[in-house]
Amino acid sequence: MNLEVYNPKNTEEVLDLLNSYKRDAKLIAGGTDLVLDLREKKIKPKAIIDISNLDELKYIKKDDNYIEIGACTTFTDIEKSEILTDNLKGLKKAASEVGSPQIRNRGTIGGNICNASPAADIVPPLLSLDATVVIKSKENIREVSLEKIFLNKGKIDIKEDEMVSSVKFKNIKGKLGFYKLGLRKALAISKIATAIYIEKEDNICKEIRIGNGALGRHGLRERKVEDYLINKEINEAIIEASATLLSGEIEKRLKGRSSLEFKKEAVKGTFKKAFKDAL
Amino acid sequence: MKEIKFNVNGKTHKLNIKEDERLVDTLRNRLGLTGVKEGCSEGECGACTVIMDGETVTSCTVLTFQAKDSEIITIEGINGENKIHPIQKAFLDEGAVQCGFCTPGMILSAKVLLDKNPEPTREEARKAISGNLCRCTGYNKIVDAIIKASKYLKREGN
Amino acid sequence: MSYDVVGKNIIRVDGLSKVTGKATYPQDISMDNMLYGKTLRSIKPHAYINVDISKALNLEGVKAVLTAKDVPGKNHHGVLFKDHEVFCEKKVRRIGDPIAFVVAETEEIAENALDKIKVEYDEIEPIFDPIKAMDKDSPKVHDSSNIVYHYKLRQGNIDEGFKNCEKIVENEYKTSRTDHAFLQPEAGISYIDKEGRYAVCVATQYPHYDRLEIAEALGVKEEKVRVINAAVGGAFGGREDITLQIHLALAAMKLKRPIKAVYSRKESFNAHCKRHPLIMKYKTGADKQGNLIALKAEIIGDTGAYASWAINVLRKAGVHATGPYEIPNVEVDSIAVYTNNPFSGAMRGFGATQIPIAHEQQMDMLAESLGLDPLTIRMKNIFTKGSKTSTGQILKESVPLDKCLAEIDKKMNFTQSYKGGVKE
Repeated sequence: MNLEVYNPKNTEEVLDLLNSYKRDAKLIAGGTDLVLDLREKKIKPKAIIDISNLDELKYIKKDDNYIEIGACTTFTDIEKSEILTDNLKGLKKAASEVGSPQIRNRGTIGGNICNASPAADIVPPLLSLDATVVIKSKENIREVSLEKIFLNKGKIDIKEDEMVSSVKFKNIKGKLGFYKLGLRKALAISKIATAIYIEKEDNICKEIRIGNGALGRHGLRERKVEDYLINKEINEAIIEASATLLSGEIEKRLKGRSSLEFKKEAVKGTFKKAFKDAL
Repeated sequence: MKEIKFNVNGKTHKLNIKEDERLVDTLRNRLGLTGVKEGCSEGECGACTVIMDGETVTSCTVLTFQAKDSEIITIEGINGENKIHPIQKAFLDEGAVQCGFCTPGMILSAKVLLDKNPEPTREEARKAISGNLCRCTGYNKIVDAIIKASKYLKREGN
Repeated sequence: MSYDVVGKNIIRVDGLSKVTGKATYPQDISMDNMLYGKTLRSIKPHAYINVDISKALNLEGVKAVLTAKDVPGKNHHGVLFKDHEVFCEKKVRRIGDPIAFVVAETEEIAENALDKIKVEYDEIEPIFDPIKAMDKDSPKVHDSSNIVYHYKLRQGNIDEGFKNCEKIVENEYKTSRTDHAFLQPEAGISYIDKEGRYAVCVATQYPHYDRLEIAEALGVKEEKVRVINAAVGGAFGGREDITLQIHLALAAMKLKRPIKAVYSRKESFNAHCKRHPLIMKYKTGADKQGNLIALKAEIIGDTGAYASWAINVLRKAGVHATGPYEIPNVEVDSIAVYTNNPFSGAMRGFGATQIPIAHEQQMDMLAESLGLDPLTIRMKNIFTKGSKTSTGQILKESVPLDKCLAEIDKKMNFTQSYKGGVKE
């Protein structure tokens, strides 16, 4: 085996290495997925580049317009961040329910996005925040909507010499709620994860974004339900009707899957819980 | 092979490792620290937990080259060679040990908790060990032991 | 009378070694000049096999590839029936059946050598459904009938009993196959000790049985085998059958060097038994007052490819089929069946764990149909001192079940929270 491993000191060195190795290189941050793939020989890279120690990619910062989170920020960092205030508790909750303390200490927001698991826990809240991903290469920086980055299960739209360097989203006026359904509290992969962002005025829903995880090939926005809810008065009947509408959407999407019977019912519960969490 | 330098249990080691070597293998096979247990090899069970730069990690999902310049504590280094650590004593006194395979990881998770939060609630103790599986299902006694350890540590003035 | 242990807080003898990380589990042992072993396992549930090991043997660093031909003694083992093969010779009966054991200088070489062993599978129709497996014409997992065991319990007159019932509840229940998932995967090391014995150091529940089984496969006297039980990282019944013990001893015998093997979690799942999944068909009847009159149960246990403790497990399930209740008319049939599924054996409770799912749900449903609360119907029928069980046993000593339930009722206000059998 011809494997080289690197401990670059900064982003430039990472991008230089990516530029020279191209598709033969793999970035490793938390390693909570990559190390397993490596051992099972699902991947056979020629170079592994460690970015877990790059402090310049570990930050949560806020200015007048945006909150930006560096790609190598761990779930523990997000969970404990004081910059992420109470109206963003859905994001913190999603981070705090990933795997276990050990996994949260290593696993990163960038890794969770790039790994593109359908059940990635941090994706639904970021979808609901309408987040943008900042992608760098040696020559270029580009920003892409998170929603548009997912191509398929396990695949995102990123070139072989590029890396995700941060995720950002606009400062919010409303509130973000989150609910994850797993088989147990800790160490559970999401069966369904739902994040809901709501802005309301006099109990009228002025802005709503719903992000779902584990209900498709990757995290998805639920636009039909969003369209239904916009400018409506928020009450029990509307929440109930939205849950039924969502269940119908899921039924179409998961047609033919063994999980359909369970998920089309369970999604109503996760939706309602996430909704109430956002009020 | 790749040369790395890191500190394990207070001692600096310079080692030649395989590029794709996992931390759990380096610790067990090169340094003989067999108190680090391997249960599932995928970061689920927590038996291979070690403390890396003050935080718990599952050493089966860390590549050793990533641990360059880091400080690692295993169960063998929790309190020097001879004396036992108050957390270890609390685990003994509370009968929190059964088959013992989860015990080193449990104790290290408890240590990081108590380092940061000297008087945890039972709920906080449960959360701290939520990444460590005990298949003998001795969780209650383990939580008892963590609470007792916090009292031992307080008495010691640590 | 004063006691040394009872009523006192005793620190367990192996506690200190475990909290300090010094306790030695088999994977923690290394020896000079040690070789590594890896097992090749079947990837088909039911097939005749033809094994070609030549390419693997030619790989540099490979010291031996053991197959059925290399077993000098008897190529079998098993706690009740010798229905396991040390290595499958002609046919595999489940996914995970051991076919060969590669011994090499390093783990990596052994792993690579596994890929070089060529196994031709001539597939046979598999049988996965234990009910279909009971048919005379279904594929046979072993040479004769798939029915391993049939336990029959008869008391009173079942037909008369049901005639005298006010309400009868009839249902079918299924439980799932479960793994012990003990935290320490199987591992072991074998070597020839100073006295010339084949020493096998493993984590086991039965060192004495292991010794017998190893000696028989090696074709040596029992005194030539020594089994050392290292620290055991959980077992829960899953370490009662042989896994790697004989493979290791055979390798040590042939190569006269220490051999170590450590299973991955995945291989551990493949190697040891599971809890028997049960299908339980229950018919339970009571009179107007809620006195149980008759119970008929058919219990079918899927023991997978090997019997292991199937007889004991299904017997126990059958004996416990009535639950802790006196019932005058009882008919129980408890049957263990071979299939091509993972094999079932001992696991915490040994058949007594699954069965309450059926008999207790029956009680709740009977209570509801009679307009009684769940506790009252139980108290009417529960075993007390002097009760006769359906197997004819008179319970002469401590039977404080009623007292226990009464105490719970008092603290929880349980019966009071029900009206006409419905929770308010």
